[in-house]
Amino acid sequence: MLTSILEQTVNGLMAGSVYVLIALGMVLIYGVMHVLNFAHGVLFMLGGYVCHFIFTRVTGSYLLAIVLSMAVLAAIGIALERGVFRPLQGNLRNQVIASLGLILAIEHLVIAVWGPNALQFKVPATSALVPLGELRFPVQHLLVIAVTLTVVAALFIFLRRSKFGTAVRAASQDRQSAMVVGIPVERIDWITFALGTALAALGGALIGPLFLVFPQMGDAPMVKGLAGILLGGMGSVPGAVIGGLLIGVVESLSTLVLPTDYRDSVAFFIMVAILLVRPRGLFGVRVRGED
Amino acid sequence: MRIAALILLVAALGAAPTVSPPYLLHVLVLCCLVSIPAVGLNLMLGYTGLVSLGHMAFAGIGAYTAAVLMVDAKLGFWAALALGTLAAGAAGGAIGAVCLRFRSHFFMIVTLAFGLMLFSVMNNWDDVTRGAAGFPGIPRPVPLGGFAFGRLENFYYLALGCAALAFAVQWLVVRSEFGRILVALRQDERLAQARGINAMRYKTAVFALGSAIAGFGGVLQVSFLRVAAPATFSLGESINAVLVVIVGGAGSLAGPALGALVFVGLPEYLRVASEWRLVVFGVVLVLLMLFAPRGLAGLLERVWRR
Repeated sequence: MLTSILEQTVNGLMAGSVYVLIALGMVLIYGVMHVLNFAHGVLFMLGGYVCHFIFTRVTGSYLLAIVLSMAVLAAIGIALERGVFRPLQGNLRNQVIASLGLILAIEHLVIAVWGPNALQFKVPATSALVPLGELRFPVQHLLVIAVTLTVVAALFIFLRRSKFGTAVRAASQDRQSAMVVGIPVERIDWITFALGTALAALGGALIGPLFLVFPQMGDAPMVKGLAGILLGGMGSVPGAVIGGLLIGVVESLSTLVLPTDYRDSVAFFIMVAILLVRPRGLFGVRVRGED
Repeated sequence: MRIAALILLVAALGAAPTVSPPYLLHVLVLCCLVSIPAVGLNLMLGYTGLVSLGHMAFAGIGAYTAAVLMVDAKLGFWAALALGTLAAGAAGGAIGAVCLRFRSHFFMIVTLAFGLMLFSVMNNWDDVTRGAAGFPGIPRPVPLGGFAFGRLENFYYLALGCAALAFAVQWLVVRSEFGRILVALRQDERLAQARGINAMRYKTAVFALGSAIAGFGGVLQVSFLRVAAPATFSLGESINAVLVVIVGGAGSLAGPALGALVFVGLPEYLRVASEWRLVVFGVVLVLLMLFAPRGLAGLLERVWRR
């Protein structure tokens, strides 16, 4: 029993790390632009495909493929911010519906180009195993967790210590006042969008080798990333990290007592239940609330 | 002028089976079936401003309720249609009451989560819903006065009649005081509440009504296809329902019909390869939001006024 709990905890931390990477992008974008980009899941998926393409066709280096796919997705993010989300700023309903349009367009574009079937994505780190007590995990599992923790640490230092990070926090606390003191909020918008889509691409590129690359691979992680954001308190970056990891671990542990088919539902059920009791999330902060 | 156009439309739709080939008739039936849940969503999204991202799951509740009643309990089609509609409405009322405790983004996310949970139940509860492979053997309605619905042209009249009923309900609701209160809630909820309107009660009511209409359409759909499959009530289909309403024109009476015609009919007519169809629609949705947020109905109205 203890062994399976340990095993599911590590699996949960791995899945949760991916939710964190998606949630971080969404929460940063939500913070500065006040948009929930529902298309973040398909951008995550596109990141997986681009990484797969670069890895198999252009270079054999997984690391380089990850970095390049993040760069490609950052460029796409900038284009979407300029072309779609900035013109619709201030109209929540239209922004959300436009992001639904992006889901349809990108998901089916991928199907049209790469076909509906899952692609094999073999990197060395998926077959190598590391022992952990009695258990052995693929290196890729631990790689996903380690990379995510590093990214989270780097992001915190960036947001807390750098001048630009401070400007991002200022813009998400009060956009107008930030403008008044001379912070270039429009530049912050597009840089944040690029950062967010690059993090989504990182998630897709890391998870692709473990669970194959397929057109719907971003759907469930996107919703669970959202669940993590809500659990952590809307708009809070540390909250999104803890919320995402928590969703991953809880749903993974739930498979010990419930059929695996209902794993996804467990995460959503917990989200709705907690929100009914604590509408502001687990920690009672909502940095950027709305009514 | 308007009445003349309406009579012409009814005559054309009524005469369709005598002049059109079976293929076209099949497409028209699909248009009717797509437009019915869209009417329900139009009341919620278009008139009340509630963007629900799990709408088709409620069509699924109606469809599976009717499927179980017809196949396992050997109930007749009409009773199953009524009970399926009621079940979807009741589920909509209960789940809506939970979702509506949240606002704007939060409301959307919670409806999305409920849609996914309901899909997961339809997909996995093998004993009742027959699981991912779908629920086979759903009968067509029994013949009514020599009207055998196994025949395409007769099912067409049934689908047309049911769509007409849904649009009639929409018309009655929009014209009523209830409908005006819904619009008031969309425009300024605080002001409406200050005038003594219980916003929660009205929003829950429209959520239940919209879900019931979706369930009504769901029952018809599975009766036409003879099988209930979870995939037809997935998140993707819920997004398509939003697409139909928005393309047609949210908050306009004819919107769901125009949207269904464009969504189902146009790709068939243009023979667009299926994988590119949703790419095009996705781009169209983004462009509509940027340049014509009131959809086709809004565009037509602009031309009409000129």
